[in-house]
Amino acid sequence: MIRAAIAVAAAVLVAFIVLPLAGLVLHLDPRAFAASLATPSAQNALRLSLVTTALSLGLTVAFGTPLAYALARGRFPGRRVVDAIVDLPIVVPPAVAGLALLLAFGRNGTLGPGLHALGINLSFSTAAVVMAQVFVASPFYVRAARGGFTSVDRTLEAASETLGMGPLRTFAYVTVPLAAPALLGGVVLSWARALGEFGATIMFAGNLTGISQTLPLAVYLDLESGDVSGATALAVTLVALSLAIVIAVRALAHD
Amino acid sequence: MNRFACIRALGAFLALGTVPAGADAPNGAGPASITVFAAASLHEAFTAAGPAFTKATGTAVTFSFAGSDSLEQQLAQGAPADVFASANESQMQKAVAAGITGSDPKTFARNRLVIVVPSGNPAKIASAADLAKSGVKVVFAAPTVPVGAYTRAGLKKLDGRAGYAADFDAAVEKNVVSNELDVKAVATKISLGEGDAGVVYATDVAPLGTKVETIAFPPDSVAEATYPIAIVKSAPNAKGAQAFVDFILSPAGQAFLKARGFISP
Repeated sequence: MIRAAIAVAAAVLVAFIVLPLAGLVLHLDPRAFAASLATPSAQNALRLSLVTTALSLGLTVAFGTPLAYALARGRFPGRRVVDAIVDLPIVVPPAVAGLALLLAFGRNGTLGPGLHALGINLSFSTAAVVMAQVFVASPFYVRAARGGFTSVDRTLEAASETLGMGPLRTFAYVTVPLAAPALLGGVVLSWARALGEFGATIMFAGNLTGISQTLPLAVYLDLESGDVSGATALAVTLVALSLAIVIAVRALAHD
Repeated sequence: MNRFACIRALGAFLALGTVPAGADAPNGAGPASITVFAAASLHEAFTAAGPAFTKATGTAVTFSFAGSDSLEQQLAQGAPADVFASANESQMQKAVAAGITGSDPKTFARNRLVIVVPSGNPAKIASAADLAKSGVKVVFAAPTVPVGAYTRAGLKKLDGRAGYAADFDAAVEKNVVSNELDVKAVATKISLGEGDAGVVYATDVAPLGTKVETIAFPPDSVAEATYPIAIVKSAPNAKGAQAFVDFILSPAGQAFLKARGFISP
């Protein structure tokens, strides 16, 4: 009885997720698909999305791993506060995140005059796209990595250090491999969130082909201009791309 | 991403659920209400006119403001609405062609385009010609949005005139740093000082107060925007929809539009 209830509930949610995505694929006109993807704006959007999400993921891992480690292991004042702050971008609506970035880093933002003096102009740039992605997506990695580091058996690290490995080598050869499934899970979630990022990007980076028009923006604009087949082609590409990466990383994590 | 398709699918799904409830209203079961899909540039005027309409007719009104092209798309996907007020003819014609409208569209307002610059005019824009100066950060609405289409059509008319290069519009296009999704987003980017110049409707300027300065286009360059309104064919409350259209076309409704800078049809 309970098992049947579980099966039904699970099936309902899976169907709810699969149906719209299947609809997207069914709506696809195979002949128009190739043509839609061959347009310069589609190519630009695809390239820009791949480049910016790779950069934002790199920055997230480079800065997020030490942060997650500090949150998992550190005993410093204000740790709980930092912990809560890191999660904030998840609950802040993306458009608000974009506005906040604009008010901080925009031309007339808090740091604007300082950046301008250094010759840096961030709004309407590809750098702004990356920043928006890091802002909204990095918490997903930090959360997962923090959980991963917390669950590592510390006696194994202690054993490694007793056997003469320094803290850095222990981290690289013991802690990270043990936390790897969590780290990879965080990487996938964070990358996927960055790939789908829309609200903060349009607000902070604007919308210009080749500079700031990522795949989600291109899909939206195609829809607005009534080009449903173009929009579906890009949307299906986006979904296929996400699916491929998720499957690849899952396979990697199980090896 | 697929998010938008999902949101729209979900919207259509929810719409199916709400139609029967709305359809009950004209039979006298519960308070009558209508939903009006209106172009973003109508926000202030319609929000002010709403309570007066409700007072005059007893029908409550809910507005959904967005770019006219978004609204037309939502209606095409079956979003439940009673009235569609577009910021241009072409989106309304699309709606007519798609069989979405249930009455002949009527022009209820006109609007002018103006150039806006952040207060202090950092890029020293003196006239439309300066939009082509190198290094000017221009923010337009996307060409698919009515105001974006009007803007580009207007710039094209200036090509080759005295003081304007033959490829003036192409030179301006090169300065565009962002194609925003609706006119309010253009206004926001300029009022925050992120862009040096943008083009918005004259009616979008008043809410920005002293944060922007305006510069007029040369006469006979940029066309006036016309705003058509029509009842939605599948309107849950067709009677209420007709009453709203009549109200907007009446002197009482027109007063609210005039107060916000619109020109009567």
